[in-house]
Amino acid sequence: MGNKQTIFTDEQLDAYQDCTFFTRKEILRLHGRYHELAPHLVPMDYTNDPDCKLPLALIVNMPELKENPFRNRIVEAFSEDGAGNLSFNEFVDMFSVLSEMAPRELKAIYAFKIYDFNVDNYLCKEDLEKTLNKLTKEELTPEEVELVCEKTIEEADLDGDNKLSFTDFENMISRAPDFLSTFHIRI
Amino acid sequence: MASDPQKQGSGKLYDYTEGNGYPGDQQALRLRRISSPASSQNYPQFNWSSAPSEEDENGNSEPHRDLRSAPLPMALKRAIRQVQQMHVPVVSSVESWKRKKTKSLHKLKDNARGFLTLWNKSLQKIGGNFGGGVQSYFLFLRFLVVLNFVSFLLIAGFVLIPNIVFRSDGTSLANSTGPEKCMEYDPNPQGLVVFYKYFLDLLSGTGFMEYSYLFYGYYNNTLGEDRNFSYNIPLAYLFTVVFYFIFCLICIIARMGTAARVAVATGGSTVANYSMIVFTGWDYGCLGGKATKLKQNNIHYRLQVDLEEERIKKQAAALTSCQKVVLYSLRVLMFLISCGLIGAAFYCIFLATNFSQQRSGEQGILGLIFEYLPSIVITAGNFLVPLLCDQIALIERYAPSTTVIMALLRAVFLRLVSLGALLFTLWRQITCEGHTDSGACELCQYNHEVYPCWETRVGQEMYKLTLFDFLINVAVLVLVEFPRRMVVDNWPSKLAQWVGRQEFVVPYNVLSLVYGQTVVWTGALFCPLLPLINTIKFVILFYCKKITLFYNCRPALKTFRSTTSAFFFLVVLLFGWILATAVMIYSLAEIRPSMGCGPFRFLSNIWSIVPTSFYSLSTTTQEFLFFIGSQAFTIPLFVLSCVVMCYFIALASVYGKNVALLRAQLKLEGRDKQFLVKQIAELSRQLQIPKHNGVQDCR
Repeated sequence: MGNKQTIFTDEQLDAYQDCTFFTRKEILRLHGRYHELAPHLVPMDYTNDPDCKLPLALIVNMPELKENPFRNRIVEAFSEDGAGNLSFNEFVDMFSVLSEMAPRELKAIYAFKIYDFNVDNYLCKEDLEKTLNKLTKEELTPEEVELVCEKTIEEADLDGDNKLSFTDFENMISRAPDFLSTFHIRI
Repeated sequence: MASDPQKQGSGKLYDYTEGNGYPGDQQALRLRRISSPASSQNYPQFNWSSAPSEEDENGNSEPHRDLRSAPLPMALKRAIRQVQQMHVPVVSSVESWKRKKTKSLHKLKDNARGFLTLWNKSLQKIGGNFGGGVQSYFLFLRFLVVLNFVSFLLIAGFVLIPNIVFRSDGTSLANSTGPEKCMEYDPNPQGLVVFYKYFLDLLSGTGFMEYSYLFYGYYNNTLGEDRNFSYNIPLAYLFTVVFYFIFCLICIIARMGTAARVAVATGGSTVANYSMIVFTGWDYGCLGGKATKLKQNNIHYRLQVDLEEERIKKQAAALTSCQKVVLYSLRVLMFLISCGLIGAAFYCIFLATNFSQQRSGEQGILGLIFEYLPSIVITAGNFLVPLLCDQIALIERYAPSTTVIMALLRAVFLRLVSLGALLFTLWRQITCEGHTDSGACELCQYNHEVYPCWETRVGQEMYKLTLFDFLINVAVLVLVEFPRRMVVDNWPSKLAQWVGRQEFVVPYNVLSLVYGQTVVWTGALFCPLLPLINTIKFVILFYCKKITLFYNCRPALKTFRSTTSAFFFLVVLLFGWILATAVMIYSLAEIRPSMGCGPFRFLSNIWSIVPTSFYSLSTTTQEFLFFIGSQAFTIPLFVLSCVVMCYFIALASVYGKNVALLRAQLKLEGRDKQFLVKQIAELSRQLQIPKHNGVQDCR
């Protein structure tokens, strides 16, 4: 059935297809991209599920991520150890969530993780300030940053604790028409 | 403390524990690796005890779909999948065959969708480099190309091919009754024809192009017969055109439905502006350093615009009543001036059309210019008047978002109604200013001296408009945009830098597309091949605009919202459709068809072919159709549709109230949580103090 590839077993490809939003071809292509990030580290034969992780510094050099101001946080949010080292599983997972077929709820969960810089499961003022500075490359004056952060929390905070929990964030995202199209990396 | 998010549907396999983020419910999973404490908070825990087999009756495809949307690490998902596979109960071979079939069908559908959608890769590249607003223009263009192509297939199948097949044989449907003078129609010129005349004819649809399948005049009013199969050509022509309009309406509304759903679900777009920009402003698909820098500038600009709007609102609220009066009177004055400008444009079009029709017999280049005079005036008006209106808008001093909307509405109005002015002028000339019983129209109820075949003439006007629009677009590209870029890039001077590279302004480009499509709809009755010409035109336009976008343009600083804009484009397209429908209904019902040409000659109006053919149907069909048209059928139908509409309105209001209730509930729960947290802090403090004393005593 088609061309014989020896990177994955059919069982593995089926598993990947069921666990992500990619087709067989796309998964093989992703493996190619993962491999070319570090050709000596990444084995071509994944049939035995090798335990190989690539460090953060290599992953954020990909052209799709290189210019993204949140690239470090994106990779950290998907890594299991929280430090940004991605195995192939996590690599595929990351692009699956950021693909255009992932549903809104799933994307919202990971978006929340990405913007949560101090990983305390809340978006507090410091997180917002860091987000804003990364967005505008620090071109806003400190008063403007202060004002925008205040207004953001005022608009989205439902339970009045001056920080955004996941519920507040998800509620605000559900009213954002552009979220699905902007939170999307094409690979 | 576990509150499931409000989701319906079976197959929720993972427990989404809420409260303090994702507290680690102490359900250690066998297959999880030893992970750091920070990350164990990252993922919700999986409920192993729920057996998937009892939850879903419709095959195991449900859990697989859920598994993809589960926010769990990949290794965990694969483990869960393995367990699920083991859990699968022994099913009959029929069941498993069915499941395999649905799976392969899903895969086939995905593959087919990727293959059939046109220009996917290009659109992705455009979106990545220039953002969603520009991409929505190209998506709209693609929609129009597909719509035009399908319409062409429709028309070719039902009108063109039967005409080609039944060209020579067939019985005439109506007797040739009518004054001799009215039936004089000789489109083929005699004598020697100059060589370059062919080129001029191609551009204006006259000469060798006039008596061809392109225009209405060539089609017969015969009943094509072939053994025991008869094909009523005029009836087919009429029904095809009517069906084409209805088909376009259905396509537009279907597409609007999907766009509207998003717009409605997100409620008022003016609420939560800042949080939207901060959290959804960054386009993760942005590629390249330049695009990133521009995106950052764009977000900076949007935030500044919002802060500015706040400031303006505060200022406006602080105006004294005297200043308010001045401002409002200024606004009224500017509104009147803009109306005056638009009225002046209409008058110019009226004059130009009259002049062009009077001098229509001229030869050579001058004749060509006179032919194209209405198109030239319309294009010039569409270019100048918005410029002037922009200057007016500066004086009006509305809020920035209102200014944009006002400018767009004015431009839409100008474009569509200038087309209407052209048609109105034409109509007046054809029907001798409405008096069909006097002067030149006395003999045939239309001006047969100037217009021996008026439908073809109208079709030619629409053809010329389409062609001219296309030529202008290409000319602007070649003569304005490329040189501008060369000048800006290679000539280092202050002036060049100030002018800068071209900006791709989405709204005006979209209006130009809507204008082109409206012209095609208006002309479809008189020029059946116009959808084909338009398809080719739009395809070439796609590639031209793409080239100019990548080589000449810089992304706009002021962006156009991409999701609400899709809905806006379709609404404007709908206005164009309404105008075209009004024109079609008027031509069908009011004006007498030409007696010298076309499939509807010798009828009093185009629509009367339907009653004429009606009586040739069998009696049962006639009675059935009478019944459908009678009151005994239509009144109950009307009442039924009212009931259904009321039901949907009630349902929508119930959902709206539900949403408001749930929002209030969320707020309350948040406050409850805070209260409980405070209580816990209090209690633990109270409990700790005596314990502490106890410990101290011991020491």
